[in-house]
Amino acid sequence: MYAVDSPTTRKSPAPPGGVAPHRGGGHKRRPRRRKGDLRTPWLLALPALIALAGLLGYPLYRMIILSFQNMRLRELLTGRTPPWVGFDQYTKVLTDPVFWTVVRRTVIFTVVSVVISVLLGLAVALLMRRVHRRVRLLMIIAMMFVWAMPQLVAAQIFKWMTDADFGVVNYLIDKLPFVSFKDHSWFLSPTQGWVVITALVVWAGVPFLAITLNAGLTQVPKELLEAATVDGATAWQALRNITLPILRPLIIIVTTLSVIWNFGLFTQPWVLRDSKVEQEYQTLATYAYTQAFGRSNYSLGSAISVITVLLMLGVMAFYIRQMFKIGEVD
Amino acid sequence: MVATAPGRASRKSATPAPRRKAAPDSDGTVTVGRSKAGTFFANLAGIVFFVIMIFPVYWVINTAFKPGPEVLQFTPSFIPEHPTLDNFVSAFKAPLFKEDLLNGLIVTVLAVIGALVVGFMAALAIARFQFYGRKAIILVVLAVQLVPFLALLIPLFLMLQKANLTNSLIGVSITYLVLILPYTVWTLRGFIAAIPRELDEAALIDGCSRFQTFWRIILPLTGPGLVATSVYGFIQAWNEFIIINTLNSPQKQNLMAWLLQNQTNRGTAWGPLMAGAIITSIPVVIFFLMIQRNIAAGLTAGAVKG
Repeated sequence: MYAVDSPTTRKSPAPPGGVAPHRGGGHKRRPRRRKGDLRTPWLLALPALIALAGLLGYPLYRMIILSFQNMRLRELLTGRTPPWVGFDQYTKVLTDPVFWTVVRRTVIFTVVSVVISVLLGLAVALLMRRVHRRVRLLMIIAMMFVWAMPQLVAAQIFKWMTDADFGVVNYLIDKLPFVSFKDHSWFLSPTQGWVVITALVVWAGVPFLAITLNAGLTQVPKELLEAATVDGATAWQALRNITLPILRPLIIIVTTLSVIWNFGLFTQPWVLRDSKVEQEYQTLATYAYTQAFGRSNYSLGSAISVITVLLMLGVMAFYIRQMFKIGEVD
Repeated sequence: MVATAPGRASRKSATPAPRRKAAPDSDGTVTVGRSKAGTFFANLAGIVFFVIMIFPVYWVINTAFKPGPEVLQFTPSFIPEHPTLDNFVSAFKAPLFKEDLLNGLIVTVLAVIGALVVGFMAALAIARFQFYGRKAIILVVLAVQLVPFLALLIPLFLMLQKANLTNSLIGVSITYLVLILPYTVWTLRGFIAAIPRELDEAALIDGCSRFQTFWRIILPLTGPGLVATSVYGFIQAWNEFIIINTLNSPQKQNLMAWLLQNQTNRGTAWGPLMAGAIITSIPVVIFFLMIQRNIAAGLTAGAVKG
């Protein structure tokens, strides 16, 4: 499809310092247009800003307010203003050992899954440059299907494949010598259950990473690699000293995005645990949801959500700073 | 096919070969330190990767075409022994399938059209105007993309409940609109920025009004971008199930939520469920393949400059 390939990358002639070449272009316009020009952009942006303020900004504010109240089912049904309780919800959450295990689990899962995904994505991206054209095509086809697959459907497929009685995974592992995996239940032990969840998340995440990083690899000037070869560099040295430094900004961006996505893990445990997530499979997202909608503890859920957002704030700020730094935003 | 040396099948041998023994790959890539054995193992690894990645996709298709008893077999068959379309028929006939299919379409289309109109105007503002507060708007658009929407579900639910918009398609449509709006603005901004500014300046000099410039120059030139953006929005809204599952009763949900209900409700009939999953995924997969190259662009574009 014609103009569909990344439009934003094409305007590269702009100086990387982030200074838009057209800034101050206003002097070209006739002065009488000026006043209208000042209002037009705001008028254009207004509907979007109202929508964002109404359905993102206001809920964000409400979420914070709620976390200082005690909203239960009774208040929801009667419509009465819930009583103010100050920091009670936060003390309740922060002194609850269960909450801290959930936080630890979410953090560990995020670190493990992101490290595996990014390393694997990078390896696959490098592999794609090395293999035969037809093998590469096969790899791309497989990744496209995986990437396109809706999260819920992917999770259901994994649920079916790891089914204790009729799952194909047990059947295949059982075929290996000396292991018996007949009727093996993957979710009895949380460690094994999390292995399945991590496998699912990595499997679904690798296509985006590999294809993006592979696109980045095409930007590595091959003269540099040739020169390195002539100078007797090993493949590993060339990778470490040439390819990776050039790829660095891209790796940082995709890693940050993966952290943000995986930290908010919800769908996979939700689907794999049949919408009834046990204690051992709770993440911060499912935990807040269960508290709010499962137990009608809307305020407690809000407090957990606020804490989750606060925990993520650093990573988000880092992502936005990176976007500004690389001059994408100008 | 596994063992073919990279150079043999490459048609572009006309490209000036680098002076190393390494043959250029089809796209002229040079990798340092190539060896025949290394290439063999690379190809092998590539094929293993392909098999592992595609296996779940193959398995859902395989399951969907098996008759009931064959699905529940201790020794799974790797190709359906008695292929049948029964599972697809029973998915279609299942309660609420058609209703939820229609609901999902309505909700998605409303959200996409809304986001496109609202988002295009905002994108125009930040791509074509220099004004005080522009950077702030960009910051907001970028930041809200990162806010976990699920965290906002609790207050959203309470707000919509109060406005009597729960269990309604309108409430969900508005929510989805906002869900896809930041990405829409961000991507369209890129497409508009890619149109040379000289074009609209020329139009202005030739006497077009600002609106005419927009209508005759920018809008037609962003056509493909509009298609790509709306398709992406469609995918996002179509795949969503947590919000609609929380806000609405099963009669007013979409196919994703339907799939979830059917997984948990009746001891999971895997055959029809996998058939339903295929039906639900087909529009998304087709759309996705159409616009694949765009999706990553909005998130990472510009990170690498050659």
